[in-house]
Amino acid sequence: MRKIFVVLSLLLLLSLAAFSQLPPGIPRNETLILDQIFRYSIPHNFNVWTPVGITPTRQAFVFDTLWYIDQHTGEWINSLAAEPPKYNDDFTQMIVKLREGIYWSDGVEFTADDLIFTVEYLKAHEGLVWNADFNAYVDKVEKLDKYTVKFTLKEPYPRFHNLFTARYNACYIMPKHVWEKVEDPGSFDFFPPVSLGAYVYKDSDPSGYWELFERREDWQRTSVGVITGKPGPKYILTIFYGPSEKKVMAMLSNELDVLMDLDLEAFKALIRRGKYVRSWYKDFPWAYPDEIDMRNLSFNLEKYPFNIKDVRWALALALNIIELEENYVGGISRVNPIPHPATTYHMKYFHIPLKPWLEQLEIEVTPGEKFKPFDSNIPFELAKWARKQGYKVPDDPDKVIEMFGIGWWKYAPDVATKLLEKHGFKKENGKWLLPDGTPWKFSIIVAPDEEDAFRQTMWAVDQWKKFGIDVSMITLERNPFYAKNQTGDFECTTAWGVGGSPSASLDKWPYINGYHSRFYKPTGETQTLQNIIRLKDPEVDRIIDEMGAISPDDPKSYELTKDWIKLWTENMWTIVLTSFKKMITYNEYYWTNYPTAENPYGQPLYWFMGSRFVIPHFEKTGRK
Amino acid sequence: MNLLKSYIFPRLVQWVIVILIGTTVTFIIPRFSPVNPVDVVMASLASYQTTDPQAMLKLKESLEDMMGLNENIFVQYFKFWGRLLKGDLGPSLARFPIPVIRVIGNAMPWTISLLLIATILGWLLGMVLGTFAAYYSHKSWSKILQVVIMALYPVPYYVMALILLMIFAYIFPIFPLFGGVGIGLKPSLSLNFILSVIKHGFLPAVSIILVSIGWRFMSQRALTSTLLSSDFIVYARIAGVRNRKILFYLFRNSLLPQATDLALSLGGIFSGALITEVVFSYPGLGQILYSAILQGDYNLVIGISVFSIIGVATGALIIDLLYPFLDPRIRYS
Repeated sequence: MRKIFVVLSLLLLLSLAAFSQLPPGIPRNETLILDQIFRYSIPHNFNVWTPVGITPTRQAFVFDTLWYIDQHTGEWINSLAAEPPKYNDDFTQMIVKLREGIYWSDGVEFTADDLIFTVEYLKAHEGLVWNADFNAYVDKVEKLDKYTVKFTLKEPYPRFHNLFTARYNACYIMPKHVWEKVEDPGSFDFFPPVSLGAYVYKDSDPSGYWELFERREDWQRTSVGVITGKPGPKYILTIFYGPSEKKVMAMLSNELDVLMDLDLEAFKALIRRGKYVRSWYKDFPWAYPDEIDMRNLSFNLEKYPFNIKDVRWALALALNIIELEENYVGGISRVNPIPHPATTYHMKYFHIPLKPWLEQLEIEVTPGEKFKPFDSNIPFELAKWARKQGYKVPDDPDKVIEMFGIGWWKYAPDVATKLLEKHGFKKENGKWLLPDGTPWKFSIIVAPDEEDAFRQTMWAVDQWKKFGIDVSMITLERNPFYAKNQTGDFECTTAWGVGGSPSASLDKWPYINGYHSRFYKPTGETQTLQNIIRLKDPEVDRIIDEMGAISPDDPKSYELTKDWIKLWTENMWTIVLTSFKKMITYNEYYWTNYPTAENPYGQPLYWFMGSRFVIPHFEKTGRK
Repeated sequence: MNLLKSYIFPRLVQWVIVILIGTTVTFIIPRFSPVNPVDVVMASLASYQTTDPQAMLKLKESLEDMMGLNENIFVQYFKFWGRLLKGDLGPSLARFPIPVIRVIGNAMPWTISLLLIATILGWLLGMVLGTFAAYYSHKSWSKILQVVIMALYPVPYYVMALILLMIFAYIFPIFPLFGGVGIGLKPSLSLNFILSVIKHGFLPAVSIILVSIGWRFMSQRALTSTLLSSDFIVYARIAGVRNRKILFYLFRNSLLPQATDLALSLGGIFSGALITEVVFSYPGLGQILYSAILQGDYNLVIGISVFSIIGVATGALIIDLLYPFLDPRIRYS
């Protein structure tokens, strides 16, 4: 017995000594290891056409659709399509010309038949994603030749191509030769998948902690191969490490090459110890500032007193954004006053052109007394603070604005006081009372795993308490958080996407369409669409209707988007706070030429579909 | 025969009733959750893509029909029992249409193997060390052992687990940072696979043992200290009975409450060890149950709970049935 124990212990020790993360035959210096952003609940399900099958990261490797928009550069990419869509004059027909010479991983050529089959199959099967869209819009889809498809639409729809234009997700094309044999698509797992991307599935953990993909031998016969001309890493391994402490350990041990996000403190600890570690910027403010979304404090507009415009303005003017930046988020988020993402791309088209309007914007504090709330000096105050911290900040005002944003609302508690008093609120012993004499109390809901939202909520609670309002924070896991947002069971929420966060295109209509009053649901009923704040406004309807009737390329659409932004801002329907940054972190020990601020050739957010055109640019350092 | 009628049979009836009531309560409670599984799916979908609002509403209706959530709760309840009696726990709602039994089947072996071993080892170590520490309380090693265990006892589990990981997976990288088995290894009886499972489960098991040992050590030490002043021990010592024999007496006489605790702990392993799974990225039921609750995945919550209810009830039943063998007073009464 004792001998068996000794032998087993020795074997265990030997196996420990030979410990390696990768399986035999998969060289580390040929393998890109990505931070898998969550543990997959259905590891062996590649049926992305069911509502529960969509999984980030992996879809970029094995699926494909017609078009992409790079969310950093705004570049339109023809992927499976050889050119942009062509509509007829009244937008009832769309013609798609497909690329030639693209093949599925099993050697079958991709043709018009696959696209037509996908549309007809999804149209015929209720419960699949895109089923309702295709039934609503597609009258017929026909083959003009082996590489050309014509869609005839039921009604004019100038944005039909959006269904095949990916940022995170879009309608992926099915291999006809596989799916035509599938009778019950809801229970088919499409495993292992026949790939139209540059990689094929190689292996995965049945428990969902990792997945391994191998580059196709014929990667040049994919859209990625044709467009980039680069092979990319031979293997891609995604690993879910769990808590950020473990991700830091893994990256310091060179067992992780790219990490999705970290809080500032963990990142600083990582760059102190990791010689090869960096983020988008080499130095301050490090983080990638251009994920297309916004951080907001949004109100349920049906709940008193948030239904009063002056109250919302008072709450905005009682917030000191400089304190948020300096004391809560380390100055690494751009401030943003308008309901549109403050990314480098969008700032050029919206924030900078709207700055003069913001500077002239006035609110009526008391009858006859006007106040200009916008403060364009904030980015320069932040630059001053950052220099004091020892960070390098450019002197060029345009660069300062690029780093910190165009400005935000003045910290004006005196004006906020007048606005509240105008509506009968009273302040006694430093505490605000509602007009009926009861203390003014409300809460903010937040999902604490959203680091920035959590910190901003702590800041807002502190600021509004200082102003005299009894505010509290309710932290919720994601799903209860979503549920409360959907049913309007909140007074103030930190939900993202409110106000319309588009892709890197000038067309905001698809992202605000859900605010039309025909989709309105009162508080208590589930609102699965965008309008969780229960907005109902005829001017909103007018803008959406006018925008929807014209082409997204029509210059009037751009003007209408600006009208939307102005309308929202004047009414302060949400308090927009900052940009949506990500502390994407690279380890340059095994791989280099990641997209960075010095070399911004594409979007660095590998969990989005666009990464398929970025990852091939990564280069081996040659380290073993 | 009398024992069967007056002792065993009532406990078997009680076991069936506990399972019936427990399962029914588990069926009802998740339905009071504000989280609707279809809304969760729709929210997730809306965060991934921009779909026509009208199409989203249509898809939502289709999903509710497919998942059978539009049916009356009584119809759902009777259908549930009909399926359960055939061993079918229905489809997971958040992973639709993957069967619940498959989701549980993937995770259960990891949970059972880790927690079974860790629970039994932790229990045995606590018992043995507690007995020895009480019997040899005057020895210096006993005092040191007590201080060490008392120092470990209040350390929060998460901190303990993270410290183990930092030391043995990062500073001295001899154990892996995540997973239940090495990447690429397929389940088999090969030595390579078995050693990999042991290596991956070692730190999670040690963390559970270190944290659980404290309470058992203290309770066993207290029990043994009380027993030391019992007449039969005093008599045994005076009679010059060997220490080994006396230790056996002490161990056996303190077994009754500790065996109950062990049985309930073993029954409870079916709920998984959430924090262990999170920290060590170890596969198991804990995280699945947690996400199922958050996603409103009634079927999966019920599926895991049914196993847990049966586990705890059966553990209690077994210990009830063993009592007469462990304690002669029950046999004679």
